[in-house]
Amino acid sequence: MKIRNTGFKRAKTIDISDAFGIAYNETNTDNNITTSGLTKAYRNFKAVDSLTISVNPGDIFGFLGPNGAGKTTTIRMLCGLLLPTCGNAKVAGFDILKDNLKIRSVIGLLPESSGFYNWMNAEEYLLHFAGLYKIESLLARKRANDLLEKVGLAAKAFAPIGYYSRGMKQRLGLARALINNPKVIFLDEPTLGLDPKGQQDIQKILLDLNHEREVTIFLSSHALSEVSFLCNRVAIVNHGRLVAQGTIDDLRRLAMGSSSDIMLEIRILNSQPSQNELPNVLSQFEYKTSISHDNRFIIIAVAENSFESTNIIIEKFLKAGLCIYDIRRQDMSLEDVFFKLTEATARKNKNKANKKNGDYLDKQQDYGPRHQTNPSHFQTNGRKEEQQKQQKKIDTK
Amino acid sequence: MLELFHREVSGSFYSWHGAAWVVAASFIFSLVAYLLLTDMELSLLDQGEMLFTLAEVIIALAIVMSAASASSIISSEIESGTFESLLLTPIAHRQIAIQKLLSVLVIWALLYAVSVPYLLVLASGTNLGPAAVFYVGLYGTILVIGVSLLSLVFSVKMKSSKNSIMTALMVVLILLAPSLFFATSLKKTEFGLALENVNPVSHAINSLDSVLVDNEKMIFQQVNHIWPIIGFTLVCTLVFMIFTKHFEVKGADQ
Repeated sequence: MKIRNTGFKRAKTIDISDAFGIAYNETNTDNNITTSGLTKAYRNFKAVDSLTISVNPGDIFGFLGPNGAGKTTTIRMLCGLLLPTCGNAKVAGFDILKDNLKIRSVIGLLPESSGFYNWMNAEEYLLHFAGLYKIESLLARKRANDLLEKVGLAAKAFAPIGYYSRGMKQRLGLARALINNPKVIFLDEPTLGLDPKGQQDIQKILLDLNHEREVTIFLSSHALSEVSFLCNRVAIVNHGRLVAQGTIDDLRRLAMGSSSDIMLEIRILNSQPSQNELPNVLSQFEYKTSISHDNRFIIIAVAENSFESTNIIIEKFLKAGLCIYDIRRQDMSLEDVFFKLTEATARKNKNKANKKNGDYLDKQQDYGPRHQTNPSHFQTNGRKEEQQKQQKKIDTK
Repeated sequence: MLELFHREVSGSFYSWHGAAWVVAASFIFSLVAYLLLTDMELSLLDQGEMLFTLAEVIIALAIVMSAASASSIISSEIESGTFESLLLTPIAHRQIAIQKLLSVLVIWALLYAVSVPYLLVLASGTNLGPAAVFYVGLYGTILVIGVSLLSLVFSVKMKSSKNSIMTALMVVLILLAPSLFFATSLKKTEFGLALENVNPVSHAINSLDSVLVDNEKMIFQQVNHIWPIIGFTLVCTLVFMIFTKHFEVKGADQ
């Protein structure tokens, strides 16, 4: 079925073959998002400050940051709801300043909290939006029904939206965001307020969309487990500025301070070693100890990412008569990465402010431990200086 | 093309509450007509003056209702969080505002339709019926468009129903004051005359007076009154065009 769309200059035919697995048949096939120095300033502060990010076509891109970091403002600028103060961005190949209408026809947005026409039912609501997107009525009805089925609202399709729970409204919001078969979807806290099953359902829908139709997904979320589960690339923002972007592994390496460092979690068969034993065994390494919930003694050591260092540790343990029960590489969780990187920028900002006030504090002075697995909180055995150098590198980035 | 307009109108009349104002308007017209015909003093008025009184009520009611409706039509959507999803659709922002405006004009159309029988009944036995219907329709439509355009701008810019309704009603009060509330002595002062000269509602009321009471029914006799009313609406249109080019929602977390 072909529907004429006069809104596009480059190719005027949209090929809609079915209700869900369709793609806009235009010459512009980019699903990417790029921003360059994107800034939104209000009277006395910058909500978004020179943000430069790039999202590849087909990415599920996690956009992380603490409250007030500028995530929603960025999304609103990318969707054409807010005009940037300066800088520019392109969404699906369209300029956010010049091609605002074109962008709106190829994107979908699920805002953090959106309102609904409570007197409508879910089907009427979706059909209304399909009408606004100028989707032909028969196709719109089919697509609306398919989407309601997909988001699990088919059974309640004819109940007034006013009676829906928050979770049901969130599902309906997702269906609305998908009614125009967008090439790029922006999701602002999509699973906020949903029960675990609802969260899982929405994550599945997003993964299906991404895998089946290569829809680019721009996901802003505080649920770091969700981001690390769904996203292949991530950007972290703080105070409107980009802190870091890349794959989760890239960020992990950045947060670790060295691309060659790994953390090894070692469980030993023996009971707790004596006080002097471990410092002797792990004299070249940073480490910390803890007791697991099954009362096993755990040592977490930071070592270079090489077979040699792992083998050296094993050898030293055996020499000391400590039998290794289990040794595994422990990756920094996204949560650790997030806190590490956002704290680094917060510290940097604080130092800047202190410098301005003539009250300069030593960088390390106010840096308190936050997470067990943070390598800079390990006992130091000659590597502290190196860690500090790495930390400074992150700060300057 | 007019999806938004359809939704707006169906939303307005979704339940009987939405149409309650039509019943209220009918009640007001009935009451005015009843008083004009049965009250000892009012019934002494000649038929032209009775028609003029009813026409005044119709115009005043139309202006108040359209101002109240238009001033909340966008701000209420902003407050309820539905406006953002509307702005995401590939409809130009001004087109959204125009479709909303059309839905306000439906209110006037209904009010006018309800008022016509009352005008015709009060005019029965005279040749003033068609002129009353025509001039009330003409002035009502132009004034309602102007006031609605202005109120819609308040709605867009203030983003708060309470503020925009209060501002729009204040403007309406200023527009209606010389005709409805000023004493004859005040009207004859320099201030009163100046206000009447620039006030489109005063021009409409004075024109209706001249048509229905003085029997000057020809349109060329009313040109002096029609141009200021059209001028007001053109100014309102210009303001509307300027302020509805691009709507911005608030940034988050601000």
